[in-house]
Amino acid sequence: MSEWEPKIVAFLCNWCSYGAADLAGVSRLQYPANIRIIRVPCSGRVNPKFILAAFRSGADGVWVSGCHPGDCHYIEGNLYARRKFALLNSQLEYTGIVEPGRLHFSWISSAEATKFAEVARGVIDAVKAAGPARHFIKKQAEVA
Amino acid sequence: MREYTERIREAAKRLLSEQRVDTVIGFRRGTVPFMNEPFLVKSVDQVDQLYWDSNCGINLANYLPKRTDRVAVVAKGCDSRNIVVHLLENQINRDQLYILGAPCRGMVDKRRMMADLKGKEPLHAEENGKEIKVSGRGFQVTFDRQTYLQSNCAICTHRNPVVYDELLGDPVEEQQGVDRYPDVRRIEAMSVDERWRYFQELIAPCIRCYACRNACPLCYCPTCFVDESRPQWVGKTIDPTDTLTFHFLRAYHMAGRCTDCGSCERACPVGIEVRKFTKKLEKEVKELYGYEAGVIPDQRPPLDTFKPGDPEPFIK
Amino acid sequence: MSDIYISRGKFPEITGQLMARYRVYAPVLKGEYHEFAEIEKTEEADLGYQNTRLSPKGLFHPHAERMFEYSLVKDDPQAGILKEAPKDFSPRVVLGIRPCDAKAFQLDDVNFDTTAYQDPWWVRRRQTTTLIGLACNEPCGTCFCTSLGTGPFDTAGLDVLLVDTGEGYTAQVLTQKGKDVVGITSGWESVSRAVSEKMEGLRKSAEDSLGRQFDFDPIKQKDMLELFNASFWDEVQFACINCGTCTFLCPTCWCFDIQDEVWGDKGDRIRLWDSCMFPLFTFHGSGHNPRNQKLQRVRQRFMHKLKYYPDKYHNGAACVGCGRCVKFCPVNIDIREVVRRMSATCVCPA
Repeated sequence: MSEWEPKIVAFLCNWCSYGAADLAGVSRLQYPANIRIIRVPCSGRVNPKFILAAFRSGADGVWVSGCHPGDCHYIEGNLYARRKFALLNSQLEYTGIVEPGRLHFSWISSAEATKFAEVARGVIDAVKAAGPARHFIKKQAEVA
Repeated sequence: MREYTERIREAAKRLLSEQRVDTVIGFRRGTVPFMNEPFLVKSVDQVDQLYWDSNCGINLANYLPKRTDRVAVVAKGCDSRNIVVHLLENQINRDQLYILGAPCRGMVDKRRMMADLKGKEPLHAEENGKEIKVSGRGFQVTFDRQTYLQSNCAICTHRNPVVYDELLGDPVEEQQGVDRYPDVRRIEAMSVDERWRYFQELIAPCIRCYACRNACPLCYCPTCFVDESRPQWVGKTIDPTDTLTFHFLRAYHMAGRCTDCGSCERACPVGIEVRKFTKKLEKEVKELYGYEAGVIPDQRPPLDTFKPGDPEPFIK
Repeated sequence: MSDIYISRGKFPEITGQLMARYRVYAPVLKGEYHEFAEIEKTEEADLGYQNTRLSPKGLFHPHAERMFEYSLVKDDPQAGILKEAPKDFSPRVVLGIRPCDAKAFQLDDVNFDTTAYQDPWWVRRRQTTTLIGLACNEPCGTCFCTSLGTGPFDTAGLDVLLVDTGEGYTAQVLTQKGKDVVGITSGWESVSRAVSEKMEGLRKSAEDSLGRQFDFDPIKQKDMLELFNASFWDEVQFACINCGTCTFLCPTCWCFDIQDEVWGDKGDRIRLWDSCMFPLFTFHGSGHNPRNQKLQRVRQRFMHKLKYYPDKYHNGAACVGCGRCVKFCPVNIDIREVVRRMSATCVCPA
């Protein structure tokens, strides 16, 4: 096919998932270089506005990853986040804004480097299958 | 429904003269057919302007947040659930409120009646029990009230107020076996592209007047997300991507809070079916977390709490 | 030029002749309501309408319009230059506009077309657009144009006025622009005495049906501060939900916001409708907001339209009685009631 490589924005929580990404790098685990990481203190920090903003800016995929429930560094951040993401995920798909395969969530602890690389590969493959972002992109306002 | 007029006036007179409340929020008769105007009564001599009929669809709980006086308010089933949400969210104190509960058989949908008049202008509308007689220049039409209920009223399962200080009438029987989500399932069955097109067409007429947002009792943020500028999340023009972002995110902010009162659809000047965005979230919240907005006064809203076993099938 | 007439069946030919030379905008039915839109086929024009939901001010002052654009793209020869966005100012005809809306544009002109400043987009669009109006034979129950110095058959602001006499349309050519546009059409007849009388009858019955719904003159005489400090504003403002419905639908509301939108290495400066009803309308960069209370905003809108504008421009009220705000306000705030309160000789305490 063409030379298109997906751009995927990944919101990783500082304590677990970002650590996992770091460990994956140190361990020289290989995965394609399509993800752009934004470090957040906790998955609970991720506001739906961020995910929408990522898609509006042209991201082909968004991936949010945090600590396992029960292991959150801030005790309960990811437990609130879980509910937020469940509703956001279903509503984005329902309105047709986000096609299946573009928005991903995971719990990855800081020791799970191999899981990180594996999930990264899965996310990138799924976004590649979905193709370049098509319609929910804001560039020039469609005005008179 | 019109009998309430007398009872509201009586109650308002009593509460104001006994100084049980400082003000009463109700409706007064509108100047055009099918409309009534929300009205704040401050003294006993204004009480006779209060009025009630099947066009009292605007949610009066919209006028409650951050009030400092003691206020009586006329609340239908849906309005009372919004008051519960306000209480949970600390927008007003229970001891400030005197809730005049109005068991409701539904409000009528002026838009559908106007559409069926096919361009003829209604000049008078008279409600008579089960019928609404509409007349204009050279015509008279009778509408059956039940057939022309607002779409949210037709599927309402909480017609009686869930919290009140006084009931204005006997409780009405709740509708049984109501399927609230046929339109949600219809959209769920569409393909991704069909869904995208459906919602694009739905919001195409939007002029970003924010009547939907402002009529909603639960949109009370001092700075709405559309007005945030650093960073700016959504543009202010009628660009389709921005308009969709506005409606999507506003509906999302209603998750687990919206009581389906229909004020948003009623307020919209261009007739957008705004509730198509909120119904899906209502269904999800019910199925995933077993929660219905504003029904149980001391139950925390679903996004304000969590359970260790919350479903997470979508998380890797 | 004396009045001319054409039968109903032949009117679409006139529309077609106009479409051959100009971009023609006419009322088009879109779903439940009409809107002014450019027509591709003569059948799309629906002159049997009452009035459009959104006023035609969008034809001169669009809801959102690009003013300037720039690009910083490396190889673009015009990179770094702030350019005016290209627009189409080719001649247009607006067919079937109501007299109230045409009068409204004259009221708007004092804002956009002054000796000191001319808004380039508004002024050029006004210059290249010819307004062919359609008199109202059956005004709406919410109309009150006659109470504000205009009327269903008023010619102010129009280049041509059509009257639907049932069997056909008469056309009264009012300006040179109107003459030029009508001049490229053919098929008209002269107006017979019977038709002339019918027209007069229609005008009278339309004006009578409207009557005089309030007396506006006392407001002109009253002291501005007395009106400003009156106690009835508290009652008027309660129901208002501070949405933009009245301002966006109104043909004489012109306020706008300017937003800069930037993406990557390109950007636009966009002008878009704003509303004095929005809480942030008067929000200063310092953080101060002189109208942060709803009462102040509601009062300001009515005072501007009904007192400040007449006092400043001696042009009558900045309201033409089209009734759109009355019809579509979600909480039924009725400007006619507000005028009555403002006119009342006794401003009684609450």
